[in-house]
Amino acid sequence: MQGPRMTLRALVFKSREEREMEQELRFHIEMETEKNVRRGMTPEQARTEALRVFGGVEKVKEQCREAHGARRWEQLFQDLRYGARMLIKQPGYSAVVVLILALGIGANTAIFSVVNGVLLRPLPYPREDRLVVLRQSAALTGQEDVGVSPVEMADYRARSRALADLVEHHNMSFTLLDRGEPHRVRTGVVSWSFFDVLGVKPILGRTFQPEDEKPGAEPVLIFSYEYWQSQGADPKVVGRAMEMNDKTHTVIGVLPPVPRYPTEDEVYMPTTACPSRSGEHARTMRGARMLTAFGRMRSGIPLEQARADLAAVFGQLRTEHPEDYPTAAGFQAALLPLREELVREARPKLLILLGTVGLVLLIVCANVANLALARLLHRQRELALRTALGAGRGRIARQLLTESALLALAGGAAGLLLALPALRLLTAFAARFTPRAHEIGIDGTVLLFTVGVALLTGLLAGVAPAFTRQDPTVMLKEGGDRGTSGGKSLRTRNLLIVFQLAASFMLLIGAGLTLRSFWELEQVDPGFRPERVTTAAVHLDWNRYDTEPRRWAVLDDLMKRVKAHPGVISVALGSAYPLDGESDPWTIELLVEGRAPRPGEAAAPVDMRIASTDYFSTLGIPVLQGRVFTEADHAKALPVAVVNRALARRFWSDRNPIGQRISFDDGESWRTIVGVVGDVKQYGLDSKAADEIYRPFAQYAIGAGNLLVRSDLPPATIEKLVRDSMRAIDPEQPVDGVRTLEEARAESLAPSRLTTTLLGVFAVLALVITAAGIAGILAFSVSQRTHEIGIRMALGAVPGDVRFMILRQAARLVIPGLALGLMGALVLTRVLTGLLFGVEPTDPATFVAVSLLLLGVAAVACFVPARRATEIHPMVALRSM
Amino acid sequence: MNRAKSDLLQGTLDMLILKTLALEPAHGWGIAQRIQQVSRDVLQVNQGSLYPALYRLEHQGWIAAEWGTSENNRKAKFYRLTQEGRRQLDAETENWARVSDAIDRILETA
Repeated sequence: MQGPRMTLRALVFKSREEREMEQELRFHIEMETEKNVRRGMTPEQARTEALRVFGGVEKVKEQCREAHGARRWEQLFQDLRYGARMLIKQPGYSAVVVLILALGIGANTAIFSVVNGVLLRPLPYPREDRLVVLRQSAALTGQEDVGVSPVEMADYRARSRALADLVEHHNMSFTLLDRGEPHRVRTGVVSWSFFDVLGVKPILGRTFQPEDEKPGAEPVLIFSYEYWQSQGADPKVVGRAMEMNDKTHTVIGVLPPVPRYPTEDEVYMPTTACPSRSGEHARTMRGARMLTAFGRMRSGIPLEQARADLAAVFGQLRTEHPEDYPTAAGFQAALLPLREELVREARPKLLILLGTVGLVLLIVCANVANLALARLLHRQRELALRTALGAGRGRIARQLLTESALLALAGGAAGLLLALPALRLLTAFAARFTPRAHEIGIDGTVLLFTVGVALLTGLLAGVAPAFTRQDPTVMLKEGGDRGTSGGKSLRTRNLLIVFQLAASFMLLIGAGLTLRSFWELEQVDPGFRPERVTTAAVHLDWNRYDTEPRRWAVLDDLMKRVKAHPGVISVALGSAYPLDGESDPWTIELLVEGRAPRPGEAAAPVDMRIASTDYFSTLGIPVLQGRVFTEADHAKALPVAVVNRALARRFWSDRNPIGQRISFDDGESWRTIVGVVGDVKQYGLDSKAADEIYRPFAQYAIGAGNLLVRSDLPPATIEKLVRDSMRAIDPEQPVDGVRTLEEARAESLAPSRLTTTLLGVFAVLALVITAAGIAGILAFSVSQRTHEIGIRMALGAVPGDVRFMILRQAARLVIPGLALGLMGALVLTRVLTGLLFGVEPTDPATFVAVSLLLLGVAAVACFVPARRATEIHPMVALRSM
Repeated sequence: MNRAKSDLLQGTLDMLILKTLALEPAHGWGIAQRIQQVSRDVLQVNQGSLYPALYRLEHQGWIAAEWGTSENNRKAKFYRLTQEGRRQLDAETENWARVSDAIDRILETA
């Protein structure tokens, strides 16, 4: 007979084994009784003596079961069965615990699946750790990324020994005519080997080949997975011909879903097909830094060596072309691992969220432990009976841990269900910070995490009740339910409450600070009036409208048509609009007349914007000095410019800038400043206003712009109006990006709002759980002290005294909790610094407000138990003793 | 009772059970009676620890159990020694002889 087989038998035929064991032991007792009778005892005496000699029958049975080896498994099953029965018998308790656990575990599952998808999983490229971004920066002029020029690309590619290949990317917006319908598409312009370097294999067709990038090659396009899907996911799209830039392009492939970085391109084309990239300026000027460079390090070469190699190449370039790498600008070149680059913005936010839900989970553990401890006191009688019947302390502890784990697993399953809907929101949240957001999902790792967290939670929450010492004799004597032997366990419970309060306090401070910061952002004056302004983007075909007069004729006509409509107050055109959230700054270097740059001085960039005559009035940007553009500032008139206050301060400080002259082309032509306007928060309410210069649209008619319409008409009407007007002029030119400036402003606040909302939700969750915990422990304590309170009232205590007594008890929990939380918060909120705007991480107002809030909630939590205490009728209380 | 003493007794009890069953199969009560008789009441088997010992020995495969009829015609569970149990008994007997011999010698010389 072998061990495992017997174990199995013992499990399957448990009842038979048990029956046989009982029969065997009964036989023994009977034999012993008969022997005693033979020795002259009465039958009763004989039986009593036999049992005495034998010892505890149940205990022996327990030992026999243990000796039989089936014990461990059988016990687990027994514990599970018993535990499940106990939990079902108390549906209220179980439901509350499962709900609390589900909230805690669900929050952790949701956040972890984001962390897993964005930070933990490798990029979906082969050997993704070899991929790098080559970035040039000019730290001293505040430019983190100045880009790489095609000339530099060629140099780096030719000279670098550490990089197997270096490929380029830049983003353009083109009009795609597919079966006569114009679509504006974000186009990634890339080296032919771009996808080979990343290791992306197409799901349809092929990627680019060297021939595709030769000058004069047949124009070809690759669709991103997302664009292909949005266009109906035609499986026969490969080979389809489309018009773009007045040339026929053929679709050759479709990409799989991969992170799209640095821009979310819809289609891709080789560099030679891009009109601006193949222009003279881009091809020959070292300073035409328009590209992002990606490289793959040669295998076996560590990052450090690749960096040293790049530094050497950069050193050569700087020596050969000192004018293009001004030392005063702090010009540098660096290699950054692609993976770090893709998650750079998201990482700190995700880690803060992970820490937050971790704290929430600890609160949940403490709360559930508290509930279990309270219930333990009601179960004392049952547990004491089991102890008396031979269950060891370890056995009881295991039983309680099993029950706790059972609840936690149920909570985990429910939490998973809660996490699913939350995940869609979180993905939208993450998408604002990383192109990896669409990789978020619930996979094996996440499920493993959930089960692990559930079991850990069950263990943490079960450990305090399981190891609270049970003394069977005391409990049996006390008569069970109203036993008062819970002194030690009450201390544990108080400590758990103090911990919950402290952790809630920290979470509330975090949420409070971000809320305060969000409020500060809302109060920021953007420098323009977004109300009632609707914008629409227009794009003129590069080839059809290849001269400034042609472009200006169309755009001017469009503005006049829209403005003629009743209800339109004003119409303007700008190269961009404030808080559009998309356009990169268009920076130029400015030369000021009579203020020659000293040799070696870095020419700090300024932002350039093109604006039509009514631009400032439409946006409500105040004119501070001089005038803005008028109809008189046409293409043949004196070149003029308007600057913002920041730029005026920078170059002329207190002097009057009106009439001063500046140049964009190193002094070849000069333009006169005619006005100063207010600063505008162009890139975000939290960033400081850039130095800006405006040129009249009529004097620099670019082919793409944003129409701005101030009107009381609904946005949909304006959209139709703009589309109809454009169609009347040229039906092949698309109009898109219609939205109100209010929407744009709200959108620019969205990341901050989402972070605030998430932290707020978790903090409120923690607060509610903690408040319930306080109320629970006080109510319990009142019910335990019913007799005492009854006696006090019989002896003349008034309800006020009793209330005070309960409040004092609550204060003994709340005050240490607050103090502990305060200390923790002072240390921990420092991690929030990067997220906050206009508020210190130790903001006294927030700390005071949160303290008051917590005190208030604690007071409410005291209210019900305190009232119940005062309603105790002395006679009833005493009689029930 | 301290633990060291009962542990020693337990190991010894196993050997005594095996030896008793080497003569003939017996039920639990019979084993206890027999050990008591043969040792002329010097060794009192703690009945509470007898059955756990039997279950343990059965689990180890040294003894096997089957239901039979007792001397007074009642259903009883009879234990018998297995081949493995016989080898184990030989090993334990030999070990016991060596240990008791060693203890004797120490007691004599001391």
